[in-house]
Amino acid sequence: MRRILCSAIALGCALALLAGEAIAQTRGARGGAASARAEAPIDLTGQWVAVISEDWRWRMITPAKGDIVSVPLNLLGQQTAEAWDPARDEAAGEQCKAYGAPGLMRGPIRMRISWQDDNALKLETDYGTQTRTLRFGESAAAAPGPRSWQGLTAAQWIVRGGGRGTPRFGSLKTVTTNLRPGYLRKNGVPYSDRAVFTEHWDVHSLPNGDKYLVNTNVVEDSVYLQAPFQTAIHYKLERDTSKWDPTPCDARF
Amino acid sequence: MGSNTMRREILIGSRVPPVHDGNEPLPVITTRRGSGAPRRRTRGSPSVLSWLVCVLTVMTGHAYAQVELTGTYAIRMYEDYIERGPGSYLGDFTGMPMSDEGRAKALRYSSSLPSTIERQCLAQSPWVGLYRPLALRFWSEVDDSGRVVAWVMAGDYLRDTVRIWMDGRPHPSPNAWHPSSGFTTGHWEGDTLVARTTHVKTAWIRRGVGIPASDQSTFTAFITRRENLLTITTIQEDPIYLTEPHVVSRVWEFDPRGSQGPLRDTCTVGVEIPSLEDTGEVPHYLPGQNPEEDFMVRAYNIPKEAAMGYAHTLYPEYRKTLRPVYTPPASCGRYCCGWIERQGLPGAAPGLTCNDGNLPAALKKAITSTER
Repeated sequence: MRRILCSAIALGCALALLAGEAIAQTRGARGGAASARAEAPIDLTGQWVAVISEDWRWRMITPAKGDIVSVPLNLLGQQTAEAWDPARDEAAGEQCKAYGAPGLMRGPIRMRISWQDDNALKLETDYGTQTRTLRFGESAAAAPGPRSWQGLTAAQWIVRGGGRGTPRFGSLKTVTTNLRPGYLRKNGVPYSDRAVFTEHWDVHSLPNGDKYLVNTNVVEDSVYLQAPFQTAIHYKLERDTSKWDPTPCDARF
Repeated sequence: MGSNTMRREILIGSRVPPVHDGNEPLPVITTRRGSGAPRRRTRGSPSVLSWLVCVLTVMTGHAYAQVELTGTYAIRMYEDYIERGPGSYLGDFTGMPMSDEGRAKALRYSSSLPSTIERQCLAQSPWVGLYRPLALRFWSEVDDSGRVVAWVMAGDYLRDTVRIWMDGRPHPSPNAWHPSSGFTTGHWEGDTLVARTTHVKTAWIRRGVGIPASDQSTFTAFITRRENLLTITTIQEDPIYLTEPHVVSRVWEFDPRGSQGPLRDTCTVGVEIPSLEDTGEVPHYLPGQNPEEDFMVRAYNIPKEAAMGYAHTLYPEYRKTLRPVYTPPASCGRYCCGWIERQGLPGAAPGLTCNDGNLPAALKKAITSTER
């Protein structure tokens, strides 16, 4: 009798755990019953500054023409980078080619993230005065429209836990398409209009209250890359927003 | 009993360093009764205990939530290629928040210094894998109940594996003996393994450039696996040689074949420059006499301040200082190509000016023969 009782209790425990997880997963994935803002497992809002402690010479300043180290370009990509001509970009009104989403995120940026509405996050940068919208749920399925520097970004919370009083946590995954051809680096390292830019957004907190946003991202481009370009970029949350300094696109510096 | 003993040997016996202070593995916790163990009966208690276990399980189920990290992760060297590959240029401290003392010490660095026996392992420290060109490997050590007692990270150029204790043990006293890998504890925050490392030894932060880290350094590391990508972000604090936390984030990709081969877990020393042996000579530059102090100015038109590792040069507003004084070099002189140096190799595009960094002919030949 005792064995039966124990088995029943164990089964109940298992079902309770599974139910809690399932509830959390459903809530996270569905997005219909509650808005993306209400379901957010992490808070991305605020002003974040890129800490240029990696690749300083390629991110803080414009490197020399032909300096394409680290990027897995294929031959066409290398040839295209060798042909970079900022004057030509300026003449064509394409000073913002290095400010498209895949290049912009590695730039020396401050970005402000805020809720545009209940199902869209707005990402603004001072560097190049760009704006990207991260759209959740059905709003991401909107007609893509013409290609743009920031493209069309579909966002999805990756949610775990949260059932029956257990901690709820997660991250954000975004996939950006419909991009205008641009540069991964200021010196003309190219990506094409077929590029797909996938990002995983995590927020890490330190005991002293500091917060870091880590963006693990992959650029896939069958035209100019011979392998996915995978990097991680980190930003620090700024409480003092006074250093926000909008500057226009610049094809040279 | 015999099976428990064997399990301990398999799980931790062959990989655990000698038992020392707080770094020893906890005894294996046995929660299952052996076949010959006496059976204890407490009338009426099982159901109460079962309910208690049930409630605690449901309440704490996600406290133990974790991502499987076990496996080998291939390097994806798409950031800081030069630093992690051929090695940084002397005098290149860009992106570093160094103190005046750290800068002075780094400028005394000579390329012959690592050849002295006492300093051959200074380039190896916990989390140094973020500055190296090879793979990482993770595995877990579990107790008899299957609970993860520690995650272990091994990789190229580590002086020891980094064992991340997950069992709640406290960090030992500051004066406790500690291995080169330091002492690391961890816990899960959602899908991220958060590790904190103390008790490290004096080291160099970057490869081949002499940026120092003191034994007062601490690391907070965030380890996140998203699908096949592993991201490790380290925040290093050092009250001696850094003026603010030094943050690095890197990506590896899960390699199901573990094709990186054996990883070098330890640093070994040997005589590299016979003329230095037993002389007591310490290769160095006196203050102000390092001939490479201006290398970044000469090679890349970067203001000297920007190359000398001041914290304010890491932030976007520093571009205001750079704009009036910086012009890109007319051409790229060294280490310019894509992720692999291809000049003159199969696959190199004709007419490219991409410079191969003077790869040795033997290495070129080796790469060529491999690709063919």
